Amino acid sequence: MKRLLRMSYLVAGLAGVGFFAMSILLLGVWPGQALERQIEQTRPQHPPAPTVSEQRGRVIYGREGCAYCHTQQIRYLDNDVRRFGKATLAWETIFDYPQLWGTRRVGPDLSREAGVRSSDWQFTHLYGPRGVVADSVMPAFPWLFDGDPDRPNQEARDLVDYLETLGRNRALAGPEGEAHARESCNCSDDERRYAFGTGLLNASPAMARRTGDFPKLAAGDPARGREVYRQNCLSCHGPRGEGDGKGAAGLHPRPANLAEREYGADRLSFALWNGVTGTAMPAWRELPMADLAAVAEVVRGFHAKQPEPQIPQAVLELGARVYSDRCAQCHGTTGAGDGSAAAQFPIAPTNFRTQRPDIATSLRALREGIQGTPMAPWAGELSEAELSAVAYYVRTFFTGGAP
Amino acid sequence: MKTLLSIAGGIAGPPAGMIGGVYDRWCPRNVMIKSRPAAAPPAVETPLVYAHGLAALVTLLISVCFGFLAAMEMVAPDVAGGSPWLTWGRLRYDHTQGIMLGWLGNAFFAFLYHAVPVLSGRSVTSPKLGQWLFGLWNFAVVLPGWILVLAGHSQPLEWAEFPLVVDAFVVLCLVLAAVQFLPPFFSRGLEDLYVSSWYIIGGLVFTLLSYPMGNFVPELVPGARGAAFSGLWIHDAVGLFVTPLALAIIYFVIPAATRKPIYSHFLSMLGFWLLFFLYPLNGTHHYVFSVIPMIAQIGAITASTLLGVDVIIVVANLLLSLRGTGWFPGDPALRFVGTGTVFYLIVSIQGSVQAQMSVNQSVHFTDWVVGHSHMAMLGFASFAALGGIVHAWQRIPWARYHAGMINAGYWLLFAGLIMMVTDLTIAGLVESSAWKSAAPWIESVRAAKPYWAVRVLTFVPIGAGFLFVMTGLFVGEPGDGLKSIQRELGLEPVEAIAPRFAQEVG
Repeated sequence: MKRLLRMSYLVAGLAGVGFFAMSILLLGVWPGQALERQIEQTRPQHPPAPTVSEQRGRVIYGREGCAYCHTQQIRYLDNDVRRFGKATLAWETIFDYPQLWGTRRVGPDLSREAGVRSSDWQFTHLYGPRGVVADSVMPAFPWLFDGDPDRPNQEARDLVDYLETLGRNRALAGPEGEAHARESCNCSDDERRYAFGTGLLNASPAMARRTGDFPKLAAGDPARGREVYRQNCLSCHGPRGEGDGKGAAGLHPRPANLAEREYGADRLSFALWNGVTGTAMPAWRELPMADLAAVAEVVRGFHAKQPEPQIPQAVLELGARVYSDRCAQCHGTTGAGDGSAAAQFPIAPTNFRTQRPDIATSLRALREGIQGTPMAPWAGELSEAELSAVAYYVRTFFTGGAP
Repeated sequence: MKTLLSIAGGIAGPPAGMIGGVYDRWCPRNVMIKSRPAAAPPAVETPLVYAHGLAALVTLLISVCFGFLAAMEMVAPDVAGGSPWLTWGRLRYDHTQGIMLGWLGNAFFAFLYHAVPVLSGRSVTSPKLGQWLFGLWNFAVVLPGWILVLAGHSQPLEWAEFPLVVDAFVVLCLVLAAVQFLPPFFSRGLEDLYVSSWYIIGGLVFTLLSYPMGNFVPELVPGARGAAFSGLWIHDAVGLFVTPLALAIIYFVIPAATRKPIYSHFLSMLGFWLLFFLYPLNGTHHYVFSVIPMIAQIGAITASTLLGVDVIIVVANLLLSLRGTGWFPGDPALRFVGTGTVFYLIVSIQGSVQAQMSVNQSVHFTDWVVGHSHMAMLGFASFAALGGIVHAWQRIPWARYHAGMINAGYWLLFAGLIMMVTDLTIAGLVESSAWKSAAPWIESVRAAKPYWAVRVLTFVPIGAGFLFVMTGLFVGEPGDGLKSIQRELGLEPVEAIAPRFAQEVG
């Protein structure tokens, strides 16, 4: 009897180790093999491996606990796909040593962060998150900078390089890669729908678009507008819209001074809906339409309408001549920002048909150029008379109409 | 002194109580020392109980402060003034690693030094080894782990945040712990092992097996495939390290403090084997709706559901054993483990529910889960560990003991925990509904802020509660613990037990 008992405990002990081994086989090794098969079926031929800088950035991302508030895993669920984009495929994670999926989302998922934000936005955000997102609770990382957001040290640059890899390979795989993965994936219909469905690959509502539709905004409620402005715009554009908010210093170009330009309704709608590519201005498509209308109202209110001075015809003629010699190549013959050279710039030249800068604003831009954009200073090239003539002339393009 | 210590060991826990003849009808009297009585009463290494108990409470307070600072930074993100050493991520890593390894690890070791000799009738392998284990655990694992994380050397894997070099020392310590605590059980033979012994053996062996899996494999296996292993470890850390050793304490303290047998040894063993069968199969429920094969997810969810059933069996057995003591027994050790048992039931059923796909898709990634973890680690494991430490402390004849302080600590912890879990659970539901709406992401952050502020406030009762319990173990008269259990439980004075104990085991 005693021996039998001892035997039974031996059997039980072996069973215990067996249970553990079974768990590893069933939930570790076997799913790993299934994933490996899926990776082989669906991966593109040559997804670029992370560079040394990107790998260093990944270590910093891990070290600072980013993955404990930002997941890198878009689940196979409608809500995830709607907010962040197509569900994460196994092959997208093949370079992740160790995985950074995360189990808590305080901030948004970052699986598709590549291309969503400009790097000056990323640096400003890392240096002082509340400089660009007023109600953020993200920690600031000033030790990645030499004193201000303009001077990221190697670590900050590595980290932002790494952020630009998130989702990059899936985007690079392109439509052919998607089609190949969709066909060869041994997935269920549900999985196929979430991973390859009709939604956007990157659904980030902040991603700016150079062209695109935009809604016509009705008149908005100014009280609501002030609240929306305070929550979303004030940290960059400042309390009076003068482009002097807390986060402004690190952004290139600086946030627009909304008080020294007159905006056509469509220009505001377009910028709010599509963002401004090449700048830190994100798109605000996720805000309710009523909020967008309300905040547009507030923005228009920053500009004090000035009496239009009578400009002598001779001045305008001089302005037109200078403009067509010096400006039209970028800003276009009709001032629509669509000159022959415009397409090569990361930032679109100002469209004077939809926004009308004050004289002082134009003069400043003409004399000093606009930092962070291709707009060069003309002070040495043009005489004072020419500068002011062209500053007056560009105001004549304004129609208030479509961009 | 030496005789005094060995007497203390002798009366420490079940065997002294058992000598009177009550233990369990399935597990007859003197179960711990029955088959082959040791030549001399086993010595309890009370200095090691004391040292690990002290280290446990100190690391607990430090870990709670890490948690408090991290919670504070969710409300006032710039409060730490931009110091890399105090950034949220690093504090978060140190909070949970400190709780698991510093606090619970030391508390479990303290309890094991008390319980293993009592359960096995044998001394632990070596006091010298104990000093090494103590030194390595605290000064090669916890302290350098904390500092390295704060200095920016860590591993971004949940429950595995200490850097790999520290992990190597953890594994070494786990081997040493196995060498220290397991041979006493094997040398007396495994028949008629009390369930606490099984949990101790299981906990030590399986932690040793699973720790390297969780800490090393994801460094070698990338992405989704590595995540499958991470998921296993996230649950194994709780299921194969924390839970078995906490249950060992609860199963030990209840009969020892009530002087009544456990209700059913059969249910104890059924619960034990089901637990070790089911717990390792839970891990993938941390990645439901991920790219990990759906069949593995469903398997893990099924195991999670069954685990709830197992916990009902375990807790039913424990609560039936607690009959007659009331909801809040007078003995603080018994009260801590009793309350821990109830929290164990609640948190496990909650776990089974939130593993279900319909619930998981809503609450996963939210503060609901943070509330769940706190109920598990604080409500269940920490209450059990505090019970174990207080129980062992009462039986160290020279240890100071102040029942009033410990009682006050209990109530503060009880209130603080309820407040925190309620707060975070609601926060999770608020976040979840914000995410489902069309509102911008930042709305969910704005909506959660008041709840995060309340969480900061819960630091007051929780921090004070731990401080009171700790104070209660370091002020008061030496030997008051012994007197208090004699008074509470009507035990015979130690002088009366000692000669009889020597006679019976001799």
